[in-house]
Parts: sequence; structure tokens; C-alpha cells
Amino acid sequence: MYDEALQDRKFERELAQIETRLTDLGIAGKIARLALFREPIDLIRDEIRGGVTTVVAVGNDMTLRRVIDAVQDRKTVVALLPVGPQGGMAELLGMPSGVAACDVLSARIVEELDVGEVNGKRFVQSVHIEGTDFSIHHGKQYVITPLRKASIEVRNFAAPDDAGMISPVDGRLSLIIRLPKFSLFKSKADVGCIPFEEMFIACEKQITATVDGDQLQGKDFSFRVIPKALRLVTGKARKF
Amino acid sequence: MAKGTGPETVIAHGVRLEGDLVAEGDIVIEGEVHGTVKTKGDLRIGDQALVEANIEATNAVVSGEIRGNIVVHGKFELFPSSKMTGDVITEVLAIGPGAQMNGNISMGGDVVKGKKRAETVDES
Repeated sequence: MYDEALQDRKFERELAQIETRLTDLGIAGKIARLALFREPIDLIRDEIRGGVTTVVAVGNDMTLRRVIDAVQDRKTVVALLPVGPQGGMAELLGMPSGVAACDVLSARIVEELDVGEVNGKRFVQSVHIEGTDFSIHHGKQYVITPLRKASIEVRNFAAPDDAGMISPVDGRLSLIIRLPKFSLFKSKADVGCIPFEEMFIACEKQITATVDGDQLQGKDFSFRVIPKALRLVTGKARKF
Repeated sequence: MAKGTGPETVIAHGVRLEGDLVAEGDIVIEGEVHGTVKTKGDLRIGDQALVEANIEATNAVVSGEIRGNIVVHGKFELFPSSKMTGDVITEVLAIGPGAQMNGNISMGGDVVKGKKRAETVDES
């Protein structure tokens, strides 16, 4: 599945090299090009019904996300072949850019990753919520309330940072609460991290959450993890 | 700190939790917890933390304040800035100079095992 941005002539040579290398490695398949205003869901699902077992997203994080949105079953394997400017997913998955990714594809190291779901919408990386007061409810077990201004990230899979390394294969999501604190020299944050399987976040007002780069409006957000919901090809240099 | 079997839970400074916090992995509390705290891993309570709860952990290191009873199956350490109001059952106890401890202390492996047996009987 080629991203529409790859229609630019500057990618012609690299794509030709990739196609040659894939042929050398014995990897053959149908090539489809994403158009700017066409969703790949029907295209991909038709191909899966026709017997396709692996869908390769050639492009970047956005391309991969669109393919993942279309692949809802647990049997089909998804891969990213990074070409052009990248977000963070290629590095997290251990996929080198361009022709070098073909050999990683050929090695076919498949990992089963967890997928998060917020209000019925799936996400692979994270959800960000800020700009409002909120309370966090873990069933009937406990309620969490920030005592000062805070932002929330619900993370499944991301590069290690001040919240540490979160594993996308542990059957849990992580709730990360950041409370900024300011000193004379630099701004820092108190960071909390709570692993969970299901959680409910009630906001004081309607806000826009960012779900893997997409926007989701809401006042209440219900989260759950779907363990091992996504089969992804990874490289040895993966960050988990 | 030895690691429990699950991922670490961190309650940051400025966060308040009310209810039952049960975890498989280690717990770090820098904020406020009111209710109960139970982990199969280790517990660390920071110097600005306030825990009003009954607690159970494998090992515990405390720099802040606890109001409640605590059962520690291994080592329970109170650092100089800590304040403990409640009963303690533990195998090994270390109290730093300046730490405040108000409550009953029961120690030794037999006491901890006896407490575990009593709880198992209650549950059945």
C-alpha cells in the first residue's frame, strides 16, 4: 500500500530499488496506491477476503495508521516499509528506511502488539488529553484526582521518556499524568504512571483529545486494552 | 528495590488516589493515597507523600507519612524524615535517626506467616 505522497518523482528511484529488492527476495504481491481522498478500508478488506495475509504500508506513520485502521482481524500481518520523512514508528519498530527495510521484511519477525481503544476508536501509540479538570475512575476500585493543573497521556507504545519504557506487549495500557512545576531555572514535571486494563476519564468540559494524531471530541473517555490485537513485522532494533 | 512481577505504578506528587490500590508490581507513592494499598512487589513512599491506608507489601521504604497499619513480608525501612502512626508487622525493621514511630510493632518471620495464615482462614 503506497502512500499518496510517494507519487512525487523524487521517490521514483528509491521505489524502483525497493521493488527490485523485494523481487530478489521472493516477496511478491499486489501494489495499491492510496489516493488523497480515498480510504483504504474497503480496498484492504477486499484483498484480505481474497486471501492476502500480509499488508505492507509503504510510507510513514500516517500510512501505517490507515492500514491498521483497515485491518481489524488478528490474523493479518501488517508491516511498515519506511520511505520519505518519518514519525517515530519506524524507529520503535526497528524498521530501517528504504531498501534496507526489505531484508527486515524478509526476515519476518512478527510481534503481537496490544491495541488501545478509546470510545470505540482504536489506537496503537497514545491518546493525549489536556486543557480541562478531570477525574479518573478505575471501576469501583479507586478514583484519581490531580490536585493541580495536569495533562494526561494514555500510552500503549512510544519511545522511552520521563515516564519510562512502556511495553506494548504486556496486556496493559499506561495512564501517564504530568503535573508541571516551575523553578527559576527550568520547567519540570511531576510524572505519575499507572498501568491498567480498563479506565474511565471524566472531564469537566467537552474537549478534543488527540488519538494517534487524530482528533476525538468528548467529555467522557472510556479506555480499554485489546491484548495481542495487532500482528506487526518488526526488526531486531525494535525498542521493546 | 527488587522488582515485583508487573509494571511499576507511580502516584506522582500532586495526585490524590481514593480507594483500593492493588498492584502486581512495585508501587511508588509521591502524592496522596486514602484507602488501602496492596502489592506483591515493593513499596516506596516519598518524603512529600501522605498515605492514609492499610498497607501490605513485600518490602517497604518510607520517607513520608503513613497513617494506618502495615504488613511487610520482608524489610520495612523508616527513613529519618518519615512518620508512622499505626501498627507494624514485619520480618525485618530498620528505623533511621529522627523517624517517628507511634504504634505496635510485631516482628519475625513467624509473626508475618501467622498473619498470612489468619488472613487465609478469614478468606475461606
